[in-house]
Amino acid sequence: MNAQSSQQQSSDGRHDDDAALTDFLASLMDYTPTIPDELVEHYLAKSGFQCPDVRLTRLVAVATQKFIADVATDALQQCKARQSAVVKDKRDKQQKDKRLILTMEDLSKALQEYGVNVKHQDYFADSPSAGLDPAARDE
Amino acid sequence: MSDGGKAESKTGKKSRITRAGEDNFGRAISKVAVAQICENVGFESFNESALDSLADLAIRYLLDLGKTAKFYSNLAGRTECNVFDIIQGLDDLGMSTGFSGASEVEFNCTISSGVVTEIRGYVESAEETPFAQPVPHFPVVGEWRLIPSFLQMGEMPGFKHIPEWLPAFPDPHTYIHSAMWNERVSDPRTDKIELARQHRKAERALLNLQQKLVCNGLPVASTSAEPDDYRSGLEVNDIENQVLANLPEDEDQDESPAILSGKRSGEAKMENHVTLLEMFAPAVEAMKDGLSDSGNEGEKNFLSKRPDGLAAKFSGEVRTEKHVSFLETFAPAIEAMKDGHSDSGNYGEKSFPGKRPAVCLEFKGDKNVFGESLDLRIRNKNFGRTAPCFGREDEKDDKKRRVEFILRQSLENQQELT
Repeated sequence: MNAQSSQQQSSDGRHDDDAALTDFLASLMDYTPTIPDELVEHYLAKSGFQCPDVRLTRLVAVATQKFIADVATDALQQCKARQSAVVKDKRDKQQKDKRLILTMEDLSKALQEYGVNVKHQDYFADSPSAGLDPAARDE
Repeated sequence: MSDGGKAESKTGKKSRITRAGEDNFGRAISKVAVAQICENVGFESFNESALDSLADLAIRYLLDLGKTAKFYSNLAGRTECNVFDIIQGLDDLGMSTGFSGASEVEFNCTISSGVVTEIRGYVESAEETPFAQPVPHFPVVGEWRLIPSFLQMGEMPGFKHIPEWLPAFPDPHTYIHSAMWNERVSDPRTDKIELARQHRKAERALLNLQQKLVCNGLPVASTSAEPDDYRSGLEVNDIENQVLANLPEDEDQDESPAILSGKRSGEAKMENHVTLLEMFAPAVEAMKDGLSDSGNEGEKNFLSKRPDGLAAKFSGEVRTEKHVSFLETFAPAIEAMKDGHSDSGNYGEKSFPGKRPAVCLEFKGDKNVFGESLDLRIRNKNFGRTAPCFGREDEKDDKKRRVEFILRQSLENQQELT
């Protein structure tokens, strides 16, 4: 009985879910994702994903967009944190340039949460003495 | 070395710009899309490397999602993916960050799934920013050019084991190399002999032509011509001898035209003689009137008889006193005749309308023909030149020039060969 009821419930739930899902997918068609459909289709085809339904491609596009937006938000927070930290040290100085720039540093910190290790070289030196103080260089 | 360095840098730049790596188009588009997303989030500018990394990340996410969804669909025994496969894939990818309801993934593969909920929330909250530019459908697939099969080519495969529907073999001329050699054997000696023979032939033809012209009464060349022009010189001498023979003869001037015409009736180039005669007609008349000297008469007759020889005579070889007096009297006429024979045409037209129109030939000598034709024309204007004569003269000029040129060349070559 319980199983039956639970099954019934779940089936009812499933119906509702399905209806909700279809509604959701329909709503997706109204929303135009930033990532173009052609690009998504190309890469899905490359990976073996085969589906003629446009809504699914839209779903994938939206999912990717959300993912990137999440990463960017984290990076932005990192950037803002750094800026506020700097400003805290020197208040008398004119407030730092308010421009928010997506740097590799912030990105790598943000991506570490997602399990993506992006390590960026700070600089490339052509000789060991490059970048040292003139005094040290003379030595 | 510095140039080498420059070249390298240039090529390096070029390679950076023009090298079309795989999937560059897709990457470029993803870069733009990612930049737009970041702008929406709040960033104002990017580092190039950061943007590249993020774009690469987006592409990888897409590929991963597709792969996972395909895996799930295959697991379910299908080839085509559906929404549940995608949701499961999303769950897989989102596992590291975590989402609500992650523990109930197996049961919630639908709208109540945590991932879907998040996406739904995102769709509702985020502002819609479509892609900045229209994107063409890519990758663009070129036309497939299949090799035609045996059947299509209308050929029969050579072997029994090859069916007709397979692509045909390439044509034998594309892979069989047949030896090639030059059949014609070129012998330099025979070539040289052949060349010499042709030169001699041309030379002979030219000289024949020259002879004909000379016989017709035109002075071929003055005796002061080039030493190698011996043949033409000989001919001139012949004419001169004839002239000298005729010198003592005493004939009326009136008869002379008749005689001359009679002489030349058989010749094709009668006009030349007539014209020369015409040229001297007024001069001769003047002589008649003014001269009492028998010598002059003789000369006059001589003139009428042999106008062609006159030029040779008058070019400076005064042999008798008669010539001297004659020269003095008829200096202008003599000059005109010396320089060219275009005058003859004019005179012909003027005095003897009944005769055939004058053929104005300017065949004076090797050296003089080219340079003086212009002068002749200018001088002839004074004598009242007529238009047709002028035109014909031009043609003859060109022909004569060519003939002279060839003759000169052949003679030069003759010297080389002999």
